Amino acid sequence: MELTTSTQPSRKENLLSGFRPASQNGFGTTSAARLQAIAALDSLDLPTRKTESWKYTDLRTLSSRTYQQSVATFKGEIAPFLIPGLDAHLLVFVNGCFDQKLSASALADAGIQVQPVSTLKGADYEAFEALLGTAAKPNADIFTAINNAYAREGVFIRVAANHEQERPIYLLHLNDANQTTAFQQRNIIQLEAGASVKLIEAFHSLDQAYTLRNEVTEIHVGNGANLEFVKIQSESDQATIIDSTEIHQAAHSKTNVFTYTFSGEIVRNNVYVRLNEEHCEAHLFAAYMLNGTQIQDHHTEMHHIAPNCFSNELYKGIVDDESTGVFNGQIHVYPDAQKTNAFQSSRGILLSESGNIFTKPQLEIYADDVKCSHGAATGHLDEDAMFYLRARGIREKDARLMLMHAFALETAETLSLDAVKAYIGHRVDTRY
Amino acid sequence: MLTISNLRASIEGKEILKGLDLHIGPGEVHAIMGPNGSGKSTLASVLAGKEEYEVTGGEVLFHGKDLLELGPDERAGEGLFLAFQYPVEIPGVSMVNFLRASVGAVREYRGQEPLSAGDFLKLMNEKKKIVEMDANLTKRAVNEGFSGGEKKRNEVFQMAMLEPTLSILDETDSGLDIDALKVVAGAVNKLRGPERSFLVITHYQRLLDYIVPDFVHVLYQGRIVKSGGKELALELEGKGYDWIKEETPAV
Repeated sequence: MELTTSTQPSRKENLLSGFRPASQNGFGTTSAARLQAIAALDSLDLPTRKTESWKYTDLRTLSSRTYQQSVATFKGEIAPFLIPGLDAHLLVFVNGCFDQKLSASALADAGIQVQPVSTLKGADYEAFEALLGTAAKPNADIFTAINNAYAREGVFIRVAANHEQERPIYLLHLNDANQTTAFQQRNIIQLEAGASVKLIEAFHSLDQAYTLRNEVTEIHVGNGANLEFVKIQSESDQATIIDSTEIHQAAHSKTNVFTYTFSGEIVRNNVYVRLNEEHCEAHLFAAYMLNGTQIQDHHTEMHHIAPNCFSNELYKGIVDDESTGVFNGQIHVYPDAQKTNAFQSSRGILLSESGNIFTKPQLEIYADDVKCSHGAATGHLDEDAMFYLRARGIREKDARLMLMHAFALETAETLSLDAVKAYIGHRVDTRY
Repeated sequence: MLTISNLRASIEGKEILKGLDLHIGPGEVHAIMGPNGSGKSTLASVLAGKEEYEVTGGEVLFHGKDLLELGPDERAGEGLFLAFQYPVEIPGVSMVNFLRASVGAVREYRGQEPLSAGDFLKLMNEKKKIVEMDANLTKRAVNEGFSGGEKKRNEVFQMAMLEPTLSILDETDSGLDIDALKVVAGAVNKLRGPERSFLVITHYQRLLDYIVPDFVHVLYQGRIVKSGGKELALELEGKGYDWIKEETPAV
């Protein structure tokens, strides 16, 4: 399919050129979800600030750049990007492309299969394509549609029924682009009934080129299955990140999603959860830190579709300089979802006078027997606590750091991987 | 050790301390009493360096140094300690990490070698005994969920850890039952020594039955209007503050 081009490429065309492959090479063109997404791209357009859900995030810089397609060119060392003390199955992606040499060999046994999408063949490939677009609606928005249409890389994880994967899986994404580059990933994770897995995904930049990452992760958590998912975003101030995680949960399943965002020019995170069956539990924790003119726009949607489910969200931001943090949290309680417990809390610390945190809770409740709450509070560092610490000899800088560390790490209390928790703490400490 | 001369301080434009003089020598225990609103807690806050208070005049010398030029952390390093009237809860900061940071910073300020992890724990266990503090409290976040009595014990515990030369107890007796009061006072008495001075701020004489002062001062309308020995506290207990008010000319 050809899009109309004029001598002045449109904003949208500019964006698409970074992602659309020169030829489809047969990859996915036959999949209904991909075709649906490609068709949807005709009518979808880039959001502007008039688009309500993109009100605070100005994408004009993004569409003024001409993004090249990604090439894997890694010259550096991965050691600085490993998590000390974490024994994990490692997969490394460079500029969005799987790097076989830097990664552990494919994990494929009776209990778990972890495969880079670009290596999928035969039945595995078909299984991936069959799941594509089942959690993330292909035409939901332009970024999801682009991803659905053209993403050729990512990870495909399948955990067999009742398999408890003890050793965590670490997906390490490194940007090492020397020119303005776009890349995208599509991860699909499927946990069968009673399965459990711990997944850490980290993103780092080695170079200062402008990058655009468009990532979609679809997760199906089966009956009684248990997922722990930690996302660590640490890309450069030239990086724009659009990251969507869509989770579907079956009965008695449990998910814990932790998001830590340390940097990035523009970061848009969507975490959407559908509690499709009874007795699900979902916990979303996030701590985000910004300075300069960075923008982070965190959106969550918690869909309580079935009765007797529990959800809890805690988002905490530390905003400095002229940066802008956004938390937009939607809770939908469907008419059948009686006995729902849904909680949401957004808290922020402003370190400067000109930084901003915008919080927008949106609760739509169509059942009557529910417990829902949301709260939002933004303020400066607690002056009384600062004085107390300083009165005990602790220097001002260290006292501030102690309070910020405590503030951010409250989100990691239930993180089960001690090495990851310690790493997050260290990253917070060295951020300031 | 501490010499306060003609100290004036205000908060939000309102003058609270109006020319206060006080001298505390090494090893001395001074009590400051006075009716509500006389400036007792303001004095404690100003000495500890709380920024909301503006010092508008006078001088405070501590071990010969200009105290008012120092930040709160430097004052702690110099050996000044404030036991807070209302200790602050700090969620997410464990007592152990807090104390380690505090002791570490103060030792560094004083040019002492850092304590090893083992020596630090030893010191902590030793000092915990002095205040009969529940061993589990140090595993919790600073003051979080502590009872009123536990918070006050925790203040004295920190005092014991930091070994200050001047401790200011700001209404440490408030909110304490008699048993807790005895423990807290007993701990303070154990810490007394020829180089350790105390400034005990209290509204009631009761605490001074257990921490016996060398000098008692009455603070009224931002100035010390009467000083005496420990018997002055008993006199105040018997007669109240009205006679002081009558004797004091309006400022």
